[in-house]
Amino acid sequence: MTLLRRVPRRLIQLTCFIGAIVLVWPLLPWTIAPRLFQQISPFVALSSDIARRSIDAGAILALAVAIIASFKKRWFCLYLCPTGFLLENTSHVGLRKSRWWGKVPPIGRYVAILTIVGSIAGYPVLMWMDPLCIFSSPFAINKATNPYSAVLVSLGLGVLVGATFLFGMLWCVRICPLSGFQDMLYISRKALWTRLAGRAAKRKFAESAGSGTSGAQLVNISGASASNAAGSRAKTSPDRGSKTLRESRRLFFAGAGGAMLALLARRVGAARYRKGNTLLRPPGAVPEDRFAGLCIRCNNCVHACPSKIIQPDTGREGGLAGFGAPLIRFDRDYQYCLETCNECTQVCPTGALTALPLEQKNKYVIGEALVDNNLCLLALGKKECDACELACPYDAIKIRWDEDQYIAYPGIDLNKCTGCGACQVVCPVTPVKAIRVWTLKSA
Amino acid sequence: MAKKLTRRELMQHSVAAGGLFAAGSLMPVSPALANQASQDGAEITQTDRSPAVLDHDKVVQPRRELPVLKKTGVLVVGGGPAGTAAAFSAKRMGVDVTLVERYGYLGGLATGGLVLGIFPLYDRNNKQVIFGFTEEMMKKLDVMKYGIIDRHKAPVYPTFDAEAMKYILADMTLSSGITAFLDCWGVDAIVDGRGAVRGAVFESKSGRQAILADIVIDCSGDGDIYAAAGAAFEKVKHNIGLISRIGNIEEVDMAPGRGSEGLPREHTFVGKIGTGRPSMGRVSDFNGHAGNSTPAPHVNWLNMAGPVGDALDVENLTELELRHRLGTWNNVEKLQKKPGNEKVYLTETAPQLGVRLSRLLDGAKKLTYAEIQSGAKFKDVIGYSGAYALAPEFQIPYGCLVPSKLENLLAAGRCISAEFKVADITRLIPVCWATGQAAGLAAALCIQDNVKPRNVSVAKLQKLLHEQGAYLG
Repeated sequence: MTLLRRVPRRLIQLTCFIGAIVLVWPLLPWTIAPRLFQQISPFVALSSDIARRSIDAGAILALAVAIIASFKKRWFCLYLCPTGFLLENTSHVGLRKSRWWGKVPPIGRYVAILTIVGSIAGYPVLMWMDPLCIFSSPFAINKATNPYSAVLVSLGLGVLVGATFLFGMLWCVRICPLSGFQDMLYISRKALWTRLAGRAAKRKFAESAGSGTSGAQLVNISGASASNAAGSRAKTSPDRGSKTLRESRRLFFAGAGGAMLALLARRVGAARYRKGNTLLRPPGAVPEDRFAGLCIRCNNCVHACPSKIIQPDTGREGGLAGFGAPLIRFDRDYQYCLETCNECTQVCPTGALTALPLEQKNKYVIGEALVDNNLCLLALGKKECDACELACPYDAIKIRWDEDQYIAYPGIDLNKCTGCGACQVVCPVTPVKAIRVWTLKSA
Repeated sequence: MAKKLTRRELMQHSVAAGGLFAAGSLMPVSPALANQASQDGAEITQTDRSPAVLDHDKVVQPRRELPVLKKTGVLVVGGGPAGTAAAFSAKRMGVDVTLVERYGYLGGLATGGLVLGIFPLYDRNNKQVIFGFTEEMMKKLDVMKYGIIDRHKAPVYPTFDAEAMKYILADMTLSSGITAFLDCWGVDAIVDGRGAVRGAVFESKSGRQAILADIVIDCSGDGDIYAAAGAAFEKVKHNIGLISRIGNIEEVDMAPGRGSEGLPREHTFVGKIGTGRPSMGRVSDFNGHAGNSTPAPHVNWLNMAGPVGDALDVENLTELELRHRLGTWNNVEKLQKKPGNEKVYLTETAPQLGVRLSRLLDGAKKLTYAEIQSGAKFKDVIGYSGAYALAPEFQIPYGCLVPSKLENLLAAGRCISAEFKVADITRLIPVCWATGQAAGLAAALCIQDNVKPRNVSVAKLQKLLHEQGAYLG
């Protein structure tokens, strides 16, 4: 700590900022680097691990950050956070430099609680507000294939920088869930310390005062100490007490709201899935009812995809809950989910996309290709077309001859089809492709 | 009636008489008997027949001499796209050319098969890459009313009218000075003592006849002549369909200039079709957008993939000829049930089955799919194909037309030396025109330079192809 104090804070921040860019870009020849960057956030690590009911190895980093942050108030914000560094510098040139947010409640804490409780229900509602994923998101802009995607990936950071320019450091101080989470860690640690110190003091007191160690006495003492503590707090500062109460109530409501929102979002997601809308998620995606929650919109997968087929959702397909979450779009010429690539599954920091080895990714079913014989050139006797058969990397399409209908059509072996889209992108029928990948419809 | 011999009885007599001779006797079998049967002025002129004989339950074809119908320089067997291109190109070099065709018209699958689309004409950038004979034919079609549509509208390929094409080919045959024999089926090769091809044997209403030639070009499609001569080949199976034309389809989107401007016509969709999730049930019916437009107004040509079949098996062919015609009629009936298609009717089914591939030559060079994918360049390039499906445009080397061992023969058209996946492209109409033209010119060079086909000067051949407007990449 003394060493850290001696090095100017700005220098550390700058180093971390550059380090973040190196990780996210990624300038390192290391596929999972962007993922590790976001997994540093204890807020994301905790929420996603709870929501997935499993612990990722990356959580070790987050645990270390959490421990330091619980001893050193907002240590992460002050030294490590690249978003914080960016916003801090923005605020220096910004319009409002005064600290006017004193009266604003610590929204970040509510967001954190809401999200963590939501993650218990399987849907970390506002996890996408994590500043690290907001920071890394615009790096996917080189993979944006349309203006909407470009806007979507840069929206988060753009809004933050803009708001900071106009209103000062409101986000960092009051809204950011990561800072709120750190605050809570710090307060909890302090409270625990106080409690433990208090208990140690009481025990000392009891040992010195009491003559025996009978059970009744212990109960008495503990009862007395509890009421005593409450009473003393109420007596010494009634104002503060009511504030704490208000705070606890707010946190409770935030938690309850998180649970409700989580359950609602899961219902909506499941319904959307059952309705059979075309929500094609990248390989390894968790079930649709939880996907939009577990996804933090870091756009790592968008950034990782060499085919540029993963694009953020404008909300047209996935609704409000799915806004900004990655979708697979086979709307580019000859670009499909390559059989040689599993990058997107490797870079997801929350496990919304399960990390799959290449062989497993090639067995993962994104969707199923179905042919509309009312459009197929072959089936309509228009053209000797077997483009989809030739394109299929999994040998799942064979031109078949139907004796009953007396037409030929591309027959798809759904045991082999992974929904990679190779057939859809080569299909010459426009504007609606005769062969398209559809989401799996639950039986 | 006892003196009146039926033809069968006559045959039996012949067999009885013939049985005295060893099978394979040079003696013509009982011409005297045949003459005795002549009566009531119905003269039987077949005095030199030697029918097959039944010898101990085996049918034996007696050895006999065949009349030589003609001695020619270049003999082209098969009058389809490759054959006509070969014959007319060779004739322009001033050599004597004979063309024989099994059907009563020229053009093969391009006319009788109703394969009316000229594809793959373009490369991946929609630039036309097949010229030469192909361009020549299209220019002739250009000036004919209802001759050809969709010229210069890449990626939509031009579509011509079969009758217009037959007219052009008939006209060219009459004016070019080639000798053509129609309704004349090439059934065998003539080889000399060293195994080199010297001509071919034909069956027609005039009986079995021979044509001797310096060079034979096998444009039979099935490689009948090189197979008969003993060249090595690969036998493959492909879908065999039957194309048809349907009329009165004005109400649908296919008529030129109707609501589909700017869009490739075969890519047009109307209304709500295709917006829903396809059912996983049975294969859906034909809908109202069947086929491609043709130059003839309100007429579409309707392709049929058909099942995979053996094009060298007469039973298979017969079955398909019959069932395809039923299937086509049934499909048109289904079509008539769709709104707007009530008045659609079946104009015709193609006279010829749509045989895609049967034999593939083992040539001096076997063109592989890997080569065309990698854009391989060949020093002996003699033809060029446009991009098709996932394959890019590619060069065709001369070695694909030359058998690996057999002399005096060239192959052109769909039966050239290529891997199945490549042959699936080289079998298409303009590519057959290209290989046919190259084979015709090569054959003419063989005669002029007095060399074997495999020793033809490729530089000269390429120069000639360029002179005739061919594009070689």
